Amino acid sequence: MEGRLANAWRLTANDKSFIRTALLSEIRIDGRKPYEYRKIVVKFGREDGSSEVQLGQTRVMGIVTAQLVQPYRDRPKEGILSIFTEVSPMADPSFEPGHPGELAVELGRIIDRGLRYFCYLLKDLIEAEVCQLYSSNPLSFLFPRMYRAYSVESKAVDTESLCVLAGKFVWAIRIDLHILDNGGNLVDAANIAALAALLTFRRPECSLGGEDGQEVIVHPPEIREPLPLIVHHLPIAITFGFFSNDSILVIDPTHNEEAVMGGRMTTTVNANGDICAIQKAGGEGVPQRVIMQCLQLATAKAAGITKQIKEALYDILWYHLLRETTLETGELKCTTQKEL
Amino acid sequence: MEVDREDGRTQNQLRPLACSRNVLHRAHGSASWYQGDTKVLAAVYGPKAGARKNENPEKACIEVIWKPKTGQTGKLEKEYEMILKRTLQSICILTVNPNTTTSIIIQVVNDDGALLPCAINAACVALVDAGIPMKHLAVAICCCVAKSGYVIMDPTKLEEQKMKSFAYLVFPNSVHSVLPEGSVQGEPMEHGIVTSVTHVDDYFYCLERGCAASAKLSDFLRRSLQRHPTDSSKAG
Repeated sequence: MEGRLANAWRLTANDKSFIRTALLSEIRIDGRKPYEYRKIVVKFGREDGSSEVQLGQTRVMGIVTAQLVQPYRDRPKEGILSIFTEVSPMADPSFEPGHPGELAVELGRIIDRGLRYFCYLLKDLIEAEVCQLYSSNPLSFLFPRMYRAYSVESKAVDTESLCVLAGKFVWAIRIDLHILDNGGNLVDAANIAALAALLTFRRPECSLGGEDGQEVIVHPPEIREPLPLIVHHLPIAITFGFFSNDSILVIDPTHNEEAVMGGRMTTTVNANGDICAIQKAGGEGVPQRVIMQCLQLATAKAAGITKQIKEALYDILWYHLLRETTLETGELKCTTQKEL
Repeated sequence: MEVDREDGRTQNQLRPLACSRNVLHRAHGSASWYQGDTKVLAAVYGPKAGARKNENPEKACIEVIWKPKTGQTGKLEKEYEMILKRTLQSICILTVNPNTTTSIIIQVVNDDGALLPCAINAACVALVDAGIPMKHLAVAICCCVAKSGYVIMDPTKLEEQKMKSFAYLVFPNSVHSVLPEGSVQGEPMEHGIVTSVTHVDDYFYCLERGCAASAKLSDFLRRSLQRHPTDSSKAG
């Protein structure tokens, strides 16, 4: 154990003060401005449901697989979406193999929350009432997870379409996120990887058969075209870093900046301006106007990132389309993909 | 005997190979190795202070972590880790940095047959990228024996499932002497793990074929390693 601790990467005091001083003049050590995002590159694998995202130096791989399982007792008509985050020791020398650390668990939960639920900021009256009961803080209505039992859920991935036979068989979608390289801001990169993998994933088509219509027949992809998942909207996670001197705010911190910053906040928004989730776990306090500023910035950035993901997706869908065109007659035998 | 393979290759033909070094930024050494559709990413951290428990502190220790593409790590992954560890221990010079640990992390990006040889090749290149002292490099190859007795090299996943038995062979890479005269043509020692070959004759036949294929792999390895300029150290 001591051997591992001795090898933890530490930033020197000189480096830390350099980062802080540079931020006072609105310069970041990699040359970006405070509200500038790093370059995002989205690549897809050969088979459906695999993606690799590079956000500057951070690299995350997402894999989506599906399996037929029994649904949960209290939700017999809904499919199951589960996210597994593998913080591999490949990404950072301080990550230990075996048990996932706090970082891995938090990462998984943030992405899970962003994909599962979001609340309409102004609409949902039930939520607002419950908020009044629980707290007097005006910002508490922005935290949906506490009130999911009461909220009207409008999900990013439509789990009701994953039901095959109510109460007996539903599709369980499993997202595996492998963190390959930790260059800072793992949440955002992992979120984009999960979205990209979900958008290219296709599950096999199945139909009910058998004597009493209770048997499920799964058709192999050669016989019947697999179906894509129904994704209503794309929740994009944007992470902010707070520095104590002069309450400086940066977007998309690198791992050097993460070692220096006093606090962090991740907001998950979509291009429509809806807030899906916000996570601020500890760290130094920030005034409320800074949080509102962050939300506005995040909405602006989310539109740009959504556009980038869709552009990357068009290329790969074209490739799939061409792959499925029969060569002899030149006609397309696949059905058109859902308009994004 | 001629046999038709699904992707049109001959019996002894390998799939297209691709190799990149220094693909990750935090790892001290990293490499990706593609053999057809089988893709493996390897990262090396080391040497780090301290040997693992129950390991000899007078020698360097090698630790292998195998991450599958999906699902939890089980017995199969542990077996791969053990095989890789033994193979790499035999090619690294363990006396240079005593009481240190070198970690090798393997991530399976895609599995389309011959996964373990691909991982061994990737690990080797990653060790070179990290600058870990080694006696020589290793090239790994997979041979399969079908029920009718013919041997094919580098099978895809579909081919692997139809075969009677298979052998993973690891060879040291061929020696190229720096001096123009005196090219060493020693006996290539084979020191990999061989698994589930049923008949002795088949094994020797596989060995022959494997030797021939390993020469091609060695050439490819040498070319791809010579291509990259040396990078600055990342141990800091």
